[in-house]
Amino acid sequence: MAGIHIENVTKSYGQLSVLKNFSLEVSDGEFVVFVGPSGCGKSTMLKILAGLEEASSGTIRIGGRDVTDLAPGDRDIAMVFQNYALYPHLTVRKNMGFGLKMRGTDPTEIDKRVTEAAKILGVDHLLDRRPKALSGGQRQRVALGRAIVREPQAFLMDEPLSNLDAKLRVHTRAEISALHKRLGVTTIYVTHDQIEAMTMADRIVIMKDGAIQQIADPDTMFKKPANLFVAGFIGSPGMNFLRATVNTNGPSPAARIFGYDVPLRIPQSFAGREVILGLRPEHIAAGPGAVTFDVMPRLVESLGSEKYVYVDVPVENRVEAARTGGDERRADTIIARLINPDERVTEGPIKLSFDPARLHLFDATTQASIE
Amino acid sequence: MKSGFGLDLARPSRRHWLGYLLLAPAVLLIGLIIIYPLIVSVDISFQNVNIARLDQPRRPFTTANYERLFSSPDFWNASWITLKLVVIVSLFCFLLGLGTALLVNNKFKGQAFARLLVALPWAVPEVIAVVIFAWMFDSSFGLMNWVFIKLGFIDTTVNWFSSPVAAFAVVCVTMIWKGYPFVSIMMLAGLQSIPDDFYNAARVDGANAWQRLVNITIPSLMPVLGVTLILVMLWVFRDFSIIYVMTGGGPLKATQTLSIMTYEQAFGFFKMGYASAIGVVTLIVCVIASRLMIGRAPDNI
Repeated sequence: MAGIHIENVTKSYGQLSVLKNFSLEVSDGEFVVFVGPSGCGKSTMLKILAGLEEASSGTIRIGGRDVTDLAPGDRDIAMVFQNYALYPHLTVRKNMGFGLKMRGTDPTEIDKRVTEAAKILGVDHLLDRRPKALSGGQRQRVALGRAIVREPQAFLMDEPLSNLDAKLRVHTRAEISALHKRLGVTTIYVTHDQIEAMTMADRIVIMKDGAIQQIADPDTMFKKPANLFVAGFIGSPGMNFLRATVNTNGPSPAARIFGYDVPLRIPQSFAGREVILGLRPEHIAAGPGAVTFDVMPRLVESLGSEKYVYVDVPVENRVEAARTGGDERRADTIIARLINPDERVTEGPIKLSFDPARLHLFDATTQASIE
Repeated sequence: MKSGFGLDLARPSRRHWLGYLLLAPAVLLIGLIIIYPLIVSVDISFQNVNIARLDQPRRPFTTANYERLFSSPDFWNASWITLKLVVIVSLFCFLLGLGTALLVNNKFKGQAFARLLVALPWAVPEVIAVVIFAWMFDSSFGLMNWVFIKLGFIDTTVNWFSSPVAAFAVVCVTMIWKGYPFVSIMMLAGLQSIPDDFYNAARVDGANAWQRLVNITIPSLMPVLGVTLILVMLWVFRDFSIIYVMTGGGPLKATQTLSIMTYEQAFGFFKMGYASAIGVVTLIVCVIASRLMIGRAPDNI
């Protein structure tokens, strides 16, 4: 077990820069999740950590040892692949013991460790089968088993849950978390699913276009997103965005949304500047509140325990889709997520309200959060 | 809708008719040019026929052809030559084919050109290839004699086609040259179907290049390998034109395989009954050999 130290790692293919100045300090035993949309460089970073790809510049240290130019096999790490990469011609037992065999470990020792790992993962009855004869979830466990028998200094996981169905994914997510607690091995986990990131991570590294957007623990990530991208990426449904210009018609700076002047807690100097206001769907409530507005829902979706109310945004408040990471929905609609709503919220005009303190403020040009 | 002419083959209950209809031409053709001659030759092999004619009355049933065959030293000699040829040519085709496939599977500049070069011998017609090799091994003007003398392996020109050992070697070289590209192409296809993550996982597990070859590449290629090996073996077994054009089976029957012997008996000595018997034995050996190979192929993928 060991900490991982990544310093100024970059990767470019010719002119194309896929990783820009990646620096990260992972402490011993930490579970860090790299998350971001596809093509953001998260898998590339993981491959560089594993030694499967070469970094264009920068250094990587695992457990204080400089591994930047070491072969993958010499880094003392184990990796779980998206498609599990189980060898079809070997039994589960041999698949799990492969790494140890390649290192010339004593066969009885291999057998002992494989059996032990199989017990931990509950696959000890499958040891003599071929991967072909296993279900998706079982294969996934075997792939995990292959990583843990090595007892490496760190685990690298590349979207290990993306080939499982939704139900199994939730289950396995919890199991991986539990396994991490039990073994306490430093883990780097790559995913494009923000829910996986939120539920499993000690710390999340959110990336876009090869650059780190924010590094924080899940709660901070949710409560204090550093910029518009993070705000939109974390949370489901995503944060609602509204464009407004700060005015000083009243005693304090305010923004006009849905035809109401909503006071903002920002200095007077912001007057006249364009801002983007972010409001999480779950922070909109049914019925009157601090800021109340009457709307005509365009669509109401019921999930049983909660209702999603889609509301058209006035033209003056619409944000160009390009600003929010290309999600077209947000341009002209906001979603209110009403938890345990009363039955009447189905048709006709309704009253929605929110607390202005819940608003997130972003600079319209830099997209950075205004604190 | 439309009555009268035509069957509505789109109806679910008739869909299989279309399948049979589309299969019919191929089945007919195979029946005509493979099954029927096969039956005829089995039939002829049990008769004392010199020149086979379909309008001839049947001769009485006899096993004389087979009795003569199994007591003939020529037959056992041809079998031995064929076996040697199959083993040597298949082995080297496999080694060369796998080697070249591994080479051109790497990413490098001019990879497409290299692949073309590897596949080239396959595209050359057999007879042309043989003529080229016959000239290269010509005793007075041949390239090989010159090369070997320059390199100091031999001090006087070798007459490649009058020495049994040398002639056999030349035939082997020609067949390997002609045969390895097929193995190479098949192996290349097989190599490209191996997921990159198998190698990545093995590298993370600390396997070196040799261990990756032995533990991942070769086992993953096994299914393709088995089929390819059978096809190559059968090709060597039945190939006629290379040997016939190059040596005609000589010298001293040193390159007389079963297929050359069949041809010689049928169209040289016009003993078609006897030749059919050789053909039938060859067929049986081929069937058994390929059954064994397929049966032994691992069922893991």
